[in-house]
Formats: sequence, C-alpha cells, structure tokens
Amino acid sequence: MTVSRRNFLKAGIAASTASMAGLSLGPASLASASEAEKDWKWDKGVCRFCGTGCGLMLATKDGRVVAQKGDVENSVNRGWQCVKGYFNAKIMYGQDRLTQPLMRMKDGKFHKEGNFVPVSWEQAFDEMERQFRRSYAEKGPEGVACFGSGQWTVQEGYAMNKLFKAGFRANMVDPNARNCMASAVAGFYSTFGTDEPAGTYDDIELTDTMVLWGANMAEMHTVLWARIMNRRLANPNVRVVNLTTFRNMSSDGADMEIVFKPNADLAILNYLAREVIARDAVNWDFVNRHCIFATGPYDIGYGLRADPEGKWTFPAEADVVAKELKVALDRHEAIGQRRQEGEVVEQKNRANPGAHWSISFEEFKKAVEPYTLDFVAELSKGDGSESLEDFKKKLQQLADLYVDQQRKVVSYWTMGVNQHTRGTWVNEQIYAVHLLLGKQSQPGNGAFSLTGQPSACGTAREVGTFAHRLPADRLIPVPAHRKFTEDQWKIPAKTISPKVGSFYAKIMRDLQDGSVTWAWVQVNNPWHTHPNSNHWIAAARKPDNFIVVSEAYPGISAKVADLILPVAMIFEKYGAYGNAERRTQHWREMVPPPGDAKGDLWQVLEFSKRFTVGDFWGEQTVPGLKAEGYEDNKLPSVLADAEAMGYKPTDTLYKVLFATPENMQYKWPDPVAKGGGNHTSEALGDGWFVEKALWQEYVPFGRGIGKDLADYDVYHDVRGLRWPVIDGKEGTWRFNEQHDPYVTKGAGFEFYGKLQKAIPSGDLDTVTDATPVPLPGKAKIFFRPYSAPVEQPDANYDLWFSTGRVLEHWHSGTMTRRVPELHRSFPAAVLWVHPADAQERGLQRNDLVWLESRRGKVQIRVETGGRNTMPKGTVYAPFFDEGVFINKVCIDAACPISKESDYKKCAVKIYKA
Amino acid sequence: MNLSGIVVICQPQNLTTVSGALAELPGVEVHFEDRDQGKIIVVQEALSIAAEMNGLLRIKAVPGVILADMLYHYFEEDPEILEGLQARQSRSMGELDIVPPTLSS
Repeated sequence: MTVSRRNFLKAGIAASTASMAGLSLGPASLASASEAEKDWKWDKGVCRFCGTGCGLMLATKDGRVVAQKGDVENSVNRGWQCVKGYFNAKIMYGQDRLTQPLMRMKDGKFHKEGNFVPVSWEQAFDEMERQFRRSYAEKGPEGVACFGSGQWTVQEGYAMNKLFKAGFRANMVDPNARNCMASAVAGFYSTFGTDEPAGTYDDIELTDTMVLWGANMAEMHTVLWARIMNRRLANPNVRVVNLTTFRNMSSDGADMEIVFKPNADLAILNYLAREVIARDAVNWDFVNRHCIFATGPYDIGYGLRADPEGKWTFPAEADVVAKELKVALDRHEAIGQRRQEGEVVEQKNRANPGAHWSISFEEFKKAVEPYTLDFVAELSKGDGSESLEDFKKKLQQLADLYVDQQRKVVSYWTMGVNQHTRGTWVNEQIYAVHLLLGKQSQPGNGAFSLTGQPSACGTAREVGTFAHRLPADRLIPVPAHRKFTEDQWKIPAKTISPKVGSFYAKIMRDLQDGSVTWAWVQVNNPWHTHPNSNHWIAAARKPDNFIVVSEAYPGISAKVADLILPVAMIFEKYGAYGNAERRTQHWREMVPPPGDAKGDLWQVLEFSKRFTVGDFWGEQTVPGLKAEGYEDNKLPSVLADAEAMGYKPTDTLYKVLFATPENMQYKWPDPVAKGGGNHTSEALGDGWFVEKALWQEYVPFGRGIGKDLADYDVYHDVRGLRWPVIDGKEGTWRFNEQHDPYVTKGAGFEFYGKLQKAIPSGDLDTVTDATPVPLPGKAKIFFRPYSAPVEQPDANYDLWFSTGRVLEHWHSGTMTRRVPELHRSFPAAVLWVHPADAQERGLQRNDLVWLESRRGKVQIRVETGGRNTMPKGTVYAPFFDEGVFINKVCIDAACPISKESDYKKCAVKIYKA
Repeated sequence: MNLSGIVVICQPQNLTTVSGALAELPGVEVHFEDRDQGKIIVVQEALSIAAEMNGLLRIKAVPGVILADMLYHYFEEDPEILEGLQARQSRSMGELDIVPPTLSS
C-alpha cells in the first residue's frame, strides 16, 4: 500500500470513528471518510455471539470482508462492540476452516474406525441417507435425532424443526439452548403462561436499581454492562448489586457484592419475599387484581439418569446418582421445607416435576416464615472471610433496595440461575419478588431474563425447536396446537406425533443405550459442551451409532463424528436472529462461503430431497406413545388423507415441506438483495428465495397471539424490531395496558399468556381440590423451598467447582480460538483457586494440577490472581478450551422441570500433576 | 496492516494532556478532539491485530483516560487473513491435506 493511500485511509477511518462517537465534523472530513471507502460495500449485520444482539456494519470488497464497525443506528449497542464482537468477520478466516465434506473411510467405503477422507456432497449425502434409513427401519421415528442450536438462524431452525416433526414424524429435535435457557422458559410458562421477557433494554436507562443474580455481565454481556455503567456513573442515586458465588469483574462496577453459597439463592429470594410481607410492602392492589399464589412438589429428583442397577454409571459416581431416587434432608432443607433433619425423602414426583397448584396467601406467608435473616444468612454466606454481621447487613440492604417505594428495580440473570438443579424455581422466585411489589412490566421495573446465545429467543424458543414445542408458544402434547401447525404446514391431521421427543441430555442417553443410533448436529458442539462427557464420547463411538456434524472448524464434536459437513458461517448466508429483548434482526449474505462449504439450511433442504412422504407417512411404531385418539405405541398412517390433499406417496419431502407452490412464488433474485448473492438459492437452483419464503411461511404462527412479526422485507430497512410488531410499531413493555395493545382496556395489567392457566388448588403439601380453576390474565407468585445441591464437597472431593465463559471466548471456542488475538489474550483455561486453598495443597500459581471429580479428571494450571477472586473452598475454570476438557469433570444433574444442566456446582479435588 | 479507529474518553479539563500523551505513542495518530465532551479520536496502526490489541491496552493505561474502545476495524491486508485464505483455496482443490491435522490423529 502506498503512503498516500494509507494516509488517505487513516483520515477516512478517523472521520468515520469520530462521527460514530458523536463528534460533529466539517464537510471536508466527511468527504474524506466516504472517499476512503469508495469501492467498499457496507451492509448491516448482527453479532454472532451472545444474546445481546449488537448491530454491526461490515464492509466487503472482492468477496471478502475488509472492515467492521459498530452500528450507531442500532439501539442495542449504539455503535459500541465488545472484544468478541470486534472479531465477527475474522472468525470466518481461520486456517483450519472446513471446506469439504469429510467422512471416516477404509478401503473406499464408510468405516466407523476409518480416518477422515474428503468426499463429495453426493457421497456424503449417500452415506448419511443409507445410515438414516437403517436407523429409522430398526428403531422407528425416535431412533433418529438432531442436536440443534440457539445459534441457528430462524430459517435454519424452522426448516430442521419441520423436517423432523412433519417429515420424519419425530419430535427428536432439541437445541443446546436446553443447557442455556430452558429454566427461563419453564419459569416464563409457569408464571406468565407465555415465553420471553416483558421488558426491554431501555429499562437500563429508566431504572434506579439493577440487581444481578448469577450473571457476570461485565464479561458475558459487556455492551449491556457498558450501558449499566454509563447509567450508574451519570446518576449518583443508581445502585448496582452483584449476587454471585465468587468475586468476578462485575463486582468492580457494583455498589454491593453478595457472595453466597451454591443454591442459597433459593433461600435469599425467600428471605426477600418474607421481608416484603414483614415490612407490609406487598402491593395489594396489583397482587389482588393480577396474581395468585402457587406451589408444587419438592421431591422431584435432580435430573440425573436413575440407575439402580449401575448400568450407565461409573462406580465412583454411584453414591450421588443414588440420590436421584432417595435423599436425606440436611438441616437447612429440613427447616426450609418444614420437615425433620435426616428424613429420607423418596423422589416420587420425578415424572411430573412441574405440576403445581394454587395456594392461599396465608399458606404462602407460612411457607416463607422460616426464611428469617438469621437462618438465611447462616445458610447463604459464601465467603468464609466475611463476618456474618456484615453479610446480614448486605441482605437487609438488598431488601431495602427492592422494597423502597421510590425505587424502580430491574433484576437480571443468566446461567447462575438457569444452570441450576432448581433453575425453574429460582426464575419463579425472582418473578415472585417483583410481583409481590408490583414492580413488573413497567418502564424501569421488572425481572429480565438475559440470554446467552444470539438466537436462543428468536430460533430455539420462538420457532420452538425443542422436543416439546411448536412455533409461537405451541406445545406438542396439546391437540389444538398440533392441529394448528398441521393446518399451517398443509399436512394431514395426525402427521405430527403427540409424543414429546428426547431433550438434549436424553438424546445423549439414547445414544448410550442404543434407542437412538443416528444423530445430526448443527451449529453447536455437544460433545464438548454437555456435562459428564466421558459417557457421551464413548456412546458416540459405539459401532451402531452414526453421527453427522455440520461444522465450520474441527472441534471435539467433529472429532467424534463419522461425517463432517462444512458449513457457511454468519455473513456467508442470509439469516435472522432474535435477541433477549425480543428484537428480531435480519442480515444479507455478504460474502460467498469458502470451497464447498454450504449453509445449514441448504444441507437440510438438500437432504430432504432424498426422501418421500411414502417413507414416513405410513403407520409407524413408536414405543411409549400414549395419547387420546391414538392406539398405544402407534402413529397412524396418514397417506390416505395425504392423497386426498393432492400429495402422492412418491412426492419428496423437499417438495411437500419446503419448495411448495406458495414458497416458490418468492423468486430469487429479489430486490432485497441489492444485487448480492445467495448461495442457498443458487445451489438449489430452482429459482426461489428460500430464506424469504420460509420467513413468510413462519410469521402467521405468532400473529394475533402477541408474538406478531413483520413481513420479511421490512427487516432489511430497520435495525431490528421487537415483537409484537403491531400496525408497523414495535413492541415495548408487555402485559402493561399503556404499552401493550394486547391488554384489555381498563385492565391496567394483564398477564394474558395461555399456558398452564388452569390449575388445581391445595395447601403447601398437596392438592386438596383437583378441579382445575382457570386463571385468565393472572400471573403466579410461587413458593419454592431451599433445596441443597445434589453433590457437595466431602472428605474426598473437598472443593466446590463451577464453570462458565470468559470474555474473550465464545462457548467451546471453535470460532474464537481461530482468531489469533483472542486466542493469545486467553490461550488456555486456568483454574482460579483461593491462595489459601492452593497453599494447603502445596500449590503455587502456574502449577499444573489434576482437577478430578467422581466423573473424570483434567490437567490444568493454577491461577491465584487475575480477574476472579474465589472464596476459600471454591474453584472455577472456563470451559472453552478443548485442551482442558472441563465437561469430563462436570456433573449432569439438571433442573428436573426444565432439563437444563447445572454447570455451576459439583465437588472436586485438586492435586499436583 | 491493521488500522483501527479508537474513541478515547477523558475529563474535558485533562484533554490537552491526554491528547499529547496519546500522540507520543508509536503508531498512534490523534485526528480529532472534542473539548466539550472530552473525546479524542485516534487511529492506530499495527502490523498484526495482536499488536493492536496490546496497543489498546497501552492507550487505556495513559493517565487520565477513562475509557478507550475500538469502534472501527480495518483489515484488508492482514497477512494472517491472506495466508488463511490461500491455504483454504489450495485445499478446496480437493487435496488430501484438506483434513486438518487435529482430525487425522
């Protein structure tokens, strides 16, 4: 590059940066900016990493991204980006990017024990089809499964969901969002009857008080944290509280830090509810008009695989797994559950853990009564070096902040709450505190569940790519929801199975016991990220199992795969994501994918061409299927109805489900593209604009029920829209008459979600009247008791262990570890240890140690300083680094209601390697 | 070569001192100042982005700097990217070395 070109560029970059930062510039400077960028094409995109949903601008030239800047017009981030977001484009350019299908081969044929060999797409799909037909013939519809993702675009998730549920007649799709947001979803359903937050990010600038519950926003939601810090610095009255099990970066910006013991959040929230009542701060007008009280069973297990015969369990983990069926209450549980210490409780409600019933306010008051300051402080205090009196003062101050009538309060939470053996309960308890105070669904007031993935909301939750869901809050077990979906999809009645499929952990267990023998992974890395991984890696490599992994880089899942399909990444395809504040954002394909890589959507559609409706729509045997109107263990043939609808048994799934006459009306090319390419449509070659057609097919699901999305083209002219989009206006605060057109006039507030809205009534222990009472428009205030973690430190495994992310890396690091500067800034996982714990074990900083649990062990280096400060007795390591395979150590206990794994607490020991 | 546009925020009364200190840093050019808002716009040049990330830390460490963040990133001629692209293009010709070493062990 010549010196003059370089100076010219610098002047342009300076001018662009200045205008983004809000400096006013003269015409000459502005001209230099546009001149420097004159052969570039700028287009808007959305960040591919966390659930915040920051807007980006990407510049392309000659088929490559050449520059990136934050999008100042996007209301989420207003031009700012975090260090991960900064490298959205670079993740596409790693050295080991996969660009051709790879299959394990020996002697020119697929072989489970063969080495990976490059093959054509044709060969790849041939083997994938052959193996699929084998599994389906041997095991039936539920012998095949898909590990999906909260990083799928909306259209990708929609297509895979439809292929499985309508085409294969198997609800065997479940996303990694199960391990991220499922507890939030279960809490939304049980409390409000509809998924996703009531508030918006604008609450940050409208509130006085922000309380973080198990959310290290300074590292994980950096841009929102920057907004919180701006608000805090500009307003001396604003307070920020960080509740956590160890000191993290968010504590640096908080006014108060509360370090508590694992699971003690359950007790602290009951203390808050008790204080609200004791201080006579219940907003009775709000509660009487809009809420009821509720509770449910406590004996629900821990989400482990019950295994009395020890078939699926390592001997070392048998003692903990046995608690799945029977557990002795400790002293704190006994007090918190009004029982006797040492009482052995059979976990009788494992099969229906989410059942619940209404109770009176008097019962609720009685239930929270044991959660006094003394009891909760003694149970909860997480840092041995802090005095009990100081800790009590903090709990009281926390209550002061919530209760203060002059204060608005927003509670934020993510994985500390959701990845929890009682994750659904904690979600419900946070809502309970806000509802008791009437501080919900108003500008600056509300409980706000943050998300971890870019489209956990938009795809996994809204499209319903879970084993029990259909689009827009519809559920597999509800006959009217299946019928609505079948009508929308123009498929015969009873095509969709009424049986809920396997959740994420269960698919792993199915591969282990052989009930599933074929699995397809898209946009996630299950064998790296699912806890207790030694079991699942062995399962994947069993001779009968065929694993297909669509991937951009060779991570752990690619290594255990039998077939790897190379994918197009974020800006190499059209897509849409939905963020945590219900904002849906679309982007265009900006650069072509490298080599033979193709998008996940193309892969789904191309695979669907290989099957006909005749392959699946005849009678099918489904063990365990039991539903009204169905013969047990049978899905009926729908072929006669299909023929009456004009389908032939020889019609391909591609034609019946995707390239329908309606969808083919959306022609490619389309003016939306502004002359750019679309490799999906071009590779299919039959002239339709796939992403637009599928979007238009999808949007009717949410319209008229509070989940309204706009038409496709609209999103290409705006920086996303929050749903519900009504009369062209985006949504704001749900359930609030002043802001939400769905609320009945005069109601004030109306929690109009329809799910779980007719429940029996009872007392704290049981149902006393089984008649379901409808609760239209009401939210539920739940009592949930303290419950101890299923595995706790003991004489052998003497430390708590917790895992999560670090700022620089995303999830399993398959993308961020390809960016040299992110990798260098945080190359290998370290284990944060309290200096005294290290000293007691004769360890020093940088020592290599074994980190060992009942399930497995890894080698890792000790860190006694740095960004996290552990309380004595607790150690932490992030899970991004496949060289330090943390999930070998983690327990696969989960919230029994949501089935979300608890990565935040298990027992370990460490010793010198 | 990597160029990044960085906004630096300081107290308005410190702007002259901070701006002067920034201009002293190798590879950093001060382009605009807004005295009322306490904002300085610099462009940083570095051979690799790694060097540039360290450069940002160096800027943040300048006394008086409250906040410094990259808003704009230009990497048209990043040798790391070009190298990656070339490797990829040769691989997509169907050669056996397309299989990353981590998958061959």
